Amino acid sequence: MKLSLFKALGIIDCCIFKRIDEQHFETVYAESEWIDLLLPSARDNKRFTIPTDSPFLDDFLMQAEEFWEYADYGKIDSGVWNEEVENNELKLNAYASMDKGDCYIVIHNVIEQFQQRQKTLQLARELLLSNDKIVAQQEYVHQRLDDMLNQSSDLKSIQQPINEVIEKTDIGVAILSPNLQPISQNPALYSLFDAHLTRSETQPYKIILQLFEKQYPEFERVISTGSRWSGELFWLKPPGTGKWIKLSIYPVKADFQQITHWVFLVSDISQVKHLLQNNEKLTYYDALTDIPNRQYFWMQLEQSVSNALPFYVLYLDIKNFKRINEIHGHSRGDQIIKELVERITPHISEGDMFARIGGGEFAIIRQKTVTEQQCIDLGHKLIDAAVQPFYLPNGTHCEIGLNIGAASFPRDADDAETLMKFADLAVFNAKKASKSSVQFYSQELKEASQRIIELENALQSAITNHEFELFLQPMLDLTSGTILKAEALLRWNRLDGERIGPDEFIPIAEQTGLIVPIGKWVISRACEMISTLNHRGYSCKLSVNLSPRQISDRHLLEFIRGSIQNSHILPNQLELELTEGVLVDNYDKVQYLLTEVRKLGVSVSIDDFGTGYSSLSYLKKLPIDHIKIDRSFVQDLVSDENDKAIILAIIAMAHSLKLNVIAEGVETELQRNFLQLNHCNLAQGYLFSRPLPFAQFCDYLSASPTQKLITPSAPFPE
Amino acid sequence: MDSYKIMIQKKICVLGASGVGKTSLIKQYVEGIFSEKYLTSIGVKIDKKQVQCESHTVQFMLWDIEGIDRYCGFQPKYLRGAAAIIIVVDHTRAQSLIEGIEIYNLAKDVANIPAILAINKTDLSTEWHWEEDELAELSSPFSHTFCTSAKTGDNVELLFSTLALQLLSEAEQ
Repeated sequence: MKLSLFKALGIIDCCIFKRIDEQHFETVYAESEWIDLLLPSARDNKRFTIPTDSPFLDDFLMQAEEFWEYADYGKIDSGVWNEEVENNELKLNAYASMDKGDCYIVIHNVIEQFQQRQKTLQLARELLLSNDKIVAQQEYVHQRLDDMLNQSSDLKSIQQPINEVIEKTDIGVAILSPNLQPISQNPALYSLFDAHLTRSETQPYKIILQLFEKQYPEFERVISTGSRWSGELFWLKPPGTGKWIKLSIYPVKADFQQITHWVFLVSDISQVKHLLQNNEKLTYYDALTDIPNRQYFWMQLEQSVSNALPFYVLYLDIKNFKRINEIHGHSRGDQIIKELVERITPHISEGDMFARIGGGEFAIIRQKTVTEQQCIDLGHKLIDAAVQPFYLPNGTHCEIGLNIGAASFPRDADDAETLMKFADLAVFNAKKASKSSVQFYSQELKEASQRIIELENALQSAITNHEFELFLQPMLDLTSGTILKAEALLRWNRLDGERIGPDEFIPIAEQTGLIVPIGKWVISRACEMISTLNHRGYSCKLSVNLSPRQISDRHLLEFIRGSIQNSHILPNQLELELTEGVLVDNYDKVQYLLTEVRKLGVSVSIDDFGTGYSSLSYLKKLPIDHIKIDRSFVQDLVSDENDKAIILAIIAMAHSLKLNVIAEGVETELQRNFLQLNHCNLAQGYLFSRPLPFAQFCDYLSASPTQKLITPSAPFPE
Repeated sequence: MDSYKIMIQKKICVLGASGVGKTSLIKQYVEGIFSEKYLTSIGVKIDKKQVQCESHTVQFMLWDIEGIDRYCGFQPKYLRGAAAIIIVVDHTRAQSLIEGIEIYNLAKDVANIPAILAINKTDLSTEWHWEEDELAELSSPFSHTFCTSAKTGDNVELLFSTLALQLLSEAEQ
């Protein structure tokens, strides 16, 4: 019999039984002695009966009954189980299968596979536990320090509690100034580097900075952009064997996003590395995805450079991966990573390398690509694969994005470090786009990113330097011609005289989070302006724009309330403008905010209506007062029948929902007449006035014959 | 008299991340022994233990299921016919609680049965930093929470006897 031969060769060690009825099974093949321990009657009586002495097997046979009842073919697997009988330990795995209407149970003795798996997983899990512990320790210390450093910019006042935290912990901590000068280094850090507290030449922070700069091309970008970073460094100190350390770098930022401190956290992971070195697979392959890891990737990259043949490096970064882990949990984050790798792998050509080089970061070395276009095409294929929804076991789904940066050898750089530095810079730029994108390194990109860094730095001091100014663009009642309100528009005049357009600086402010303090300044300044207008006897509402980041600011509502109170204005003189995108992306937060501002008496309008988003249900559900028709529809309404139809539909829909309609970008009499004829309520555009500085806006109001006047009621504040 | 007691059998699944001490907890309960050496479990192992209650004998079938992590996913099939689950977490590792809650949520989706939270390794000093109210909120879906030590046996017996009483009381209803 073939099975005997397989058994003799040690290929298979199993017993087979055929189902007679729900309780009885007939022995087809059972030559192994271990079956006497599990099913004592199976060999002698050529059959066994349920229940057996194995609760696991009985449970699986119940599952098998369901399978045999409904399935026509195939098999199900019990998974590995341990059976202890008379001081013997069996490691077994059973299958229930169906063949031509007959039902079979096959039980395998899997002792060898079990031992192999246990050996591998023992090591892998010990690593996992050690790593978990290091990450948790670092995160905790970081959180504590971040809270304290954020409390006060005066380090002296918080020195004592900081010392308490960092002296107790056994992970190395260095707190540095914005220009990387040491403020505090704890004893654990010194002992990690075997350094003495008094010898300045062995300052641990210096060693860390040198190692980071030498071993990671990202160094310059991380420091210049004030980014978080985490990775492993190797410190070789002859005559010793050296140490592996895990370094996490966190910038501590103030309200205006300027760096106040750097926190470096360092843990000794030599033991983890030593465990890894015992297993070649774990040394070079990522345990989660089974694809090459960072170490293997770098070896291959160095090899490709020394081969001196042209190639490309693609750096892939999952958009907001940290947030995905926070929302869905780490184990689901891991599942997403695994599935993403399965989706990407088929697109990788033979001979190319695809590696996981960080938590949510991957890299590809494309050996055979000859054109940049082929790389871009590959990038788009990978993005297409990544953006498909990931279905989670609890029935929900999650969507991710991919930023891809690429650099070319030898065109962009002829050494591995510089090449990766440029690919990193390219991916950093790709991150700035809201959607997934592929970005190639270029000189222009380098200059553009330098410009962005320069603007970021300048933005941090723009408020304190009084570089911002609010311009006001009036909105008129189309029937009466009265100026009912005005939109507050931000302008940035740098100290050197350069004027930066909002299209350039708003995305940077949004990206860096500076939009939050800038947005607060806008609200506060708009309230002051309303107050001034009140005192001059004008009744004019001002509307301010809210960005997605501001919506997420927990203190926004309180700030709006405070600004209104401090300026002694009526809440209904302030209006908030939100784009449709903000509504759709942050529905829950927006609903809460708008409901609360409505309670205050502040009105709300939806900006850029009709562009891109089609979910209209929010118009009914949210407390909205006005919608603003996007200028793109108004622009061509006289010549374009479609735009005309869209505008008419928007007006009809808005009025049926009892919302007012404002048309933006009105530039001609023809446009005004059409809008007026079709009952559009208000209009804004160059036909009436361009955005004006406050003083000129006041002149404009006073020159307007139909302008509504109120009685000044409070002292003039300016 | 014991001989007149009614015997009921209950399948209990013991779940949790790897390395939290599920096997040790069961070993302490069933055999009263503990080993310092960490040996990772593979697959499933079933142990039996009887608990004497007033009028009943409850026979626990304790399913010690391999730790759920990146190497071994959650297997809903093992929950079939289970009367309760015990989620074990390790209070020296904050991540094990997050993972324990994730496992609980996965289990809840397939079986609406009582769940007990065992915060294990209390013989070691606490190294997680959950606030009391955070912990209370996280443990609110569980019918009971016990701080256990598989090493010293603290609260291990209590956990299982409470579970036996809860299952009996549910069976009587």
